[in-house]
Amino acid sequence: MIEMKNINKVYKMGEVSLEALKEVSLMIGPGEFISIMGPSGSGKSTLLNIIGCLDTPTSGSYFFEERNVAGLNLDQLSTIRNRKIGFVFQNFNLLPYATTYENVELPMLFNGKPGKKRRERVLELLEMVGLVDRQLHRPSELSGGEQQRAAIARALANDPSMILADEPTGNLDSKTGQEIMGLFVKLQQQGRTILMVTHDTNIASYSQRTINLLDGRII
Amino acid sequence: MRVPLLRYFAREFRKRKKKTALITFAITWGTLSILLLMSFGRGLSNSFRLSFKGLGDNLIMIYRGQTSKDYHGLPKGRRIMIYPGDIALLRALIPEIELIAPESNNFYTITGGGRETNRNVCGVGPSFGVMRSMIAESGGRFFNEEDERGARRVAFIGWNMAANLFPGENPVGRTIIIDRVPFTVIGVMKKKLQSSSYQGFDADHAYIPHSTFSRIDDQLYLDRIHIQPKRREDNQLVERRIREILGRKYRFDPKDDYALGIWNTIEQAEVAGKVFKGIEIFLAVIGALTLLIGSVGVTNLMYALVKERTREIGVKMALGARRRHIILQFLLETLFIFSKGTFWGTAIAYAIVRLTRLVPVSYEITGIQTYLLRPIFSLDILIIFLAILGTLVFLSGIFPAARASRLNPVEALRYE
Repeated sequence: MIEMKNINKVYKMGEVSLEALKEVSLMIGPGEFISIMGPSGSGKSTLLNIIGCLDTPTSGSYFFEERNVAGLNLDQLSTIRNRKIGFVFQNFNLLPYATTYENVELPMLFNGKPGKKRRERVLELLEMVGLVDRQLHRPSELSGGEQQRAAIARALANDPSMILADEPTGNLDSKTGQEIMGLFVKLQQQGRTILMVTHDTNIASYSQRTINLLDGRII
Repeated sequence: MRVPLLRYFAREFRKRKKKTALITFAITWGTLSILLLMSFGRGLSNSFRLSFKGLGDNLIMIYRGQTSKDYHGLPKGRRIMIYPGDIALLRALIPEIELIAPESNNFYTITGGGRETNRNVCGVGPSFGVMRSMIAESGGRFFNEEDERGARRVAFIGWNMAANLFPGENPVGRTIIIDRVPFTVIGVMKKKLQSSSYQGFDADHAYIPHSTFSRIDDQLYLDRIHIQPKRREDNQLVERRIREILGRKYRFDPKDDYALGIWNTIEQAEVAGKVFKGIEIFLAVIGALTLLIGSVGVTNLMYALVKERTREIGVKMALGARRRHIILQFLLETLFIFSKGTFWGTAIAYAIVRLTRLVPVSYEITGIQTYLLRPIFSLDILIIFLAILGTLVFLSGIFPAARASRLNPVEALRYE
C-alpha cells in the first residue's frame, strides 16, 4: 500500500533549516491500523501530511499503491487526496457555512459523482455514523462527537482505501473518543488502511501497530 | 465545470452574504457616483451647447463699427455703417454664404389684448427665423418671402411678449398695434434655451418683415446682418471676405478689427465646445480615478475575505479541490458581487437622472438649474464605465483568487 524510503523533510526558515524527518523508511500494508506516536515536534504530523499527499518530501521516494508520488503534479495529488485518502482532523475542520449533508457531499462534487449516486452515498454514510436526523444542521449546531462523526462520513465519501487521522479524539471527552474509535475499528473491518497520529496510549491501543517517532526518526 | 459544484458555491455564497454586503455597498456607491458625475457633466455641456444654438446655429453677425486705423489718407475714428444694399453685394460675392438676412430694430409701444408694453421690435429678413433657431408654436409660422415682398403687416412674437399681452390665450390671428400701425400675429416663438443675447432675449421681442419695418421706421442703415455659411468650416473665410468686400466699399482696412463688428458665433461655439469636452473628460478622469481607488479598496477587502477563509481553503484542498476550483470560486464571487453592486448603482443612477429631468425646463437664463438639472444618461457613458469596471473586476478578483489557490494546504489547515 505504502512504501517510503529514506524520506527527508527539511523546513528552511531563513538561515536556519529544520530537519523534520530524517531518513524515514516505512512499509504499510493494506488493511493495517497503525498509530504514529511521539512527543510534539517529533515529526508525526509532517509524516502524516506527506503520506496524505498534502506535502512533498525534500528527498527520498514515496510509492502510494505502487505509484511514485514524487513525480505527480498538484492536480494529480488533488485527485489522489480526493479518491484514495480520507482525512480526519483533531478540530474536525467541517466547513462552517455548509450543512452536515453538504460537508459529506463536497468531496463527491470535486470528482463529479452523478447526482443520484451522490445522494445515496451521503445518506448511506450519514446512516452509518448516525447523523441522518442532523443532515440539515450546520457544524456549529452539532456537538463535538457529532462533528467528528460528520467529518468521518465526509472522509469516506469517495470510498478511499486509506484514512488519515490527526489526533481524532484530541478535542473529545474520553467516552465520545471511544465511540469514535469504535467507528475506526469498523472501518478497518471494511478493509481500509488507517493511520492515526495520537499521543494517547489508550487510543493507540485500538491499533495493531505503533510507529514511534523521535526527532524525525523512527525508533 | 460541474454544475452541482457551482450550485454548491452559490449556496455557500448566499450563506456568507452578510460578509460581502460591505463590498457590494462600496461598489454600488462607486457606480452611482461615477455615473452621476458623468451624466451631469454630459448634461451640463449639452445644455450649454443647446443654449448656444438658442442664439443661432452657425451664425455670423455683422455690426456697425468705427475705424481704429488710418487708411488711404482717411483718418481713424470714422463710423462705418451698413446698409440694405450690402445684403445683395455680400450674397453675390461670397458663394460660401447659405443664408443672409438684415436686422433693424427699435423700441416701440405695443398694444394688444387690451394691454400695453414697450418692447424691442425687430425688422428682419425671412431667413432670420431659421438662423436664429426660432420655431413657431403649432398653429403659427414665421413670415416668408411673400410677406417680405408685400411688406405685409404680420408679426412673430416671443413667448414672453405673448404671455404679457395675451395671458392664457392664443395670440395667433389677433391684432397688435405697433406705433399706431396694426399687425396680425402669425406665430409665437416656441421656448428655447438662449445663453447669449443683445438688447434683451428673443422671448421679449416682436419680429416683423424688414420691408414693413422700413415703412414705420425712418432709420436707413441696418443694425445687423445675419449670415449663415454653407459649411461651418468656412466661418473664418466668410468673415475675412466680409471685411475685404465691405472694406473696399466703405474704405477701411480689412485688418482693422474695430471698423466692423463681427460676432462669429461658430468660432465661439467651437471654443466653448472644446471647453465643455474638456470638462467632460475631466469629470470622466476623476470618475476613473475614483473607480481605481475604489477597486484598490475592493481588492483589499477581497484579500481579507480570502485570508479569513484560509483554513476553509486548506480543508477543501485536503478533500481534493484542485487549484482551478479554488480560483473559480473566488472569481465567481467577485464577479457576482460586482454585478450586483453595478446593477444597483446603475439602477439608482438612472432613477436619479430620470427624476431630475422631471423638473421642468427653466428658460430663465439666470437659473443655474437650466444647466445643472438636465443630466443625460447615455449608452456610451455606460459602455465606457462597464469596460473600465470589467477590467478592474478582473484585476481585483484574480489576484486574491490566485493567492488563495497557491496556498500550501498544510499551512492553510494550520491557519488560525
